[in-house]
Amino acid sequence: MGFSHAVGVVGVLMLAHAAYATIQYRSLLKITEEQFMGPPITVVVELVAGLFFCLWAALTVPGKFLLILPQSDENRVVALPFNLDFMIFNHRGKAFSLGIDMKIK
Amino acid sequence: MVSKTEEDQLIRLENQVENGGGGAWEYLCLVRKLKLRRSDKVFKYGSAILSDHKKRSALGPEEWTLYEQVAIAAMDCQRLDVAKEYIKVLQGKFHDSKRVGRLEAMLLEAKGLWAEAEKAYSSLLEESQFDQVIHKRRVAMAKAQGNLSGAIEWLNKYLEIFMADHDAWRELAEIYVSLQMYKQAAFCYEELLLSHPTIPLYHLSYADVLYTLGGVENLHAAKKYYAATIDLTGGKNTRALFGICLCASAIAQLTRGRNKDDKENSELHSLSAAALEKAYKQESPTKVSVLSSALRSLKVSS
Repeated sequence: MGFSHAVGVVGVLMLAHAAYATIQYRSLLKITEEQFMGPPITVVVELVAGLFFCLWAALTVPGKFLLILPQSDENRVVALPFNLDFMIFNHRGKAFSLGIDMKIK
Repeated sequence: MVSKTEEDQLIRLENQVENGGGGAWEYLCLVRKLKLRRSDKVFKYGSAILSDHKKRSALGPEEWTLYEQVAIAAMDCQRLDVAKEYIKVLQGKFHDSKRVGRLEAMLLEAKGLWAEAEKAYSSLLEESQFDQVIHKRRVAMAKAQGNLSGAIEWLNKYLEIFMADHDAWRELAEIYVSLQMYKQAAFCYEELLLSHPTIPLYHLSYADVLYTLGGVENLHAAKKYYAATIDLTGGKNTRALFGICLCASAIAQLTRGRNKDDKENSELHSLSAAALEKAYKQESPTKVSVLSSALRSLKVSS
């Protein structure tokens, strides 16, 4: 759990560092008056690595994902709720005695 | 709607409580949430908690809900004396409460004193005209006295005001089916399907009613709704698969002699027969021979 958190934090930091490096590179180019073609290869590699770290952390930190299919083995409807508002007490259970002796204090 | 995980949880808690482990309070909360009718267990464990002064005070303000739940369970188990005690306790705490008044009227109902209960409900209704539960109790009273047509009348009046109450529509559909008034039952199920189209059990009941009504149009519609049930349950509902086979053979019997280019009918029939055989091989392989002979006789008669 702590490991996934740490990986996530490292990924975010790498993305932030890549952004900072790109901004610095751009200001360097402005000084040398060249066109900004794209960030250097190292920054791109760092971006991709940071992306993968963040993805991995996002998938492992929450733990077990729930199924979304309504007919999957966990989510399927087994029974409808009983209509308790229409419950009648006039049933054959009167013939059975529960034999529980309950007293309240 | 009770899902499989909730049912597993319920069974686990039930076993745990019955074998002496703790967890009675969680069990009672789960039963209340899922709206199940486990009156004997609720009564047993609920009154055990309520008789123990320590456990009762540990509940805090929840103990009054527990009193109500166990009082209703006691009425269902015909322990009217215990129910009366609990209602007296509730009355002591909440004077002039409509909820407690409702419980008292339910006690009169459980005792069988229909006239007094009717009077109590009417007086409660005078104070609050739009209390849904009291209207529904009146319907339940008519049903308990065996006056099903009276129950239908009350329920229709209730549904004119509260049209969105799907439990009431379900109850009305079941009463109609028990009286064999299938056209009206089909109407009620249509209302249910409109409000809750994703519950496969409603599609199944509607298809059953249509199949019972008979006639080629209704059989075609029943086949469509069985197919919808199969779609919603991912092909696992055996009853719907059987329904399709029966509908297909009934349609073929009725339209025998007319032009038989209904390939889709026979294709659906063979597909569902194959699915049934596969399911039976997995679940109960000893009955596969019975199943295949039954399906063959269906096909032969078609």
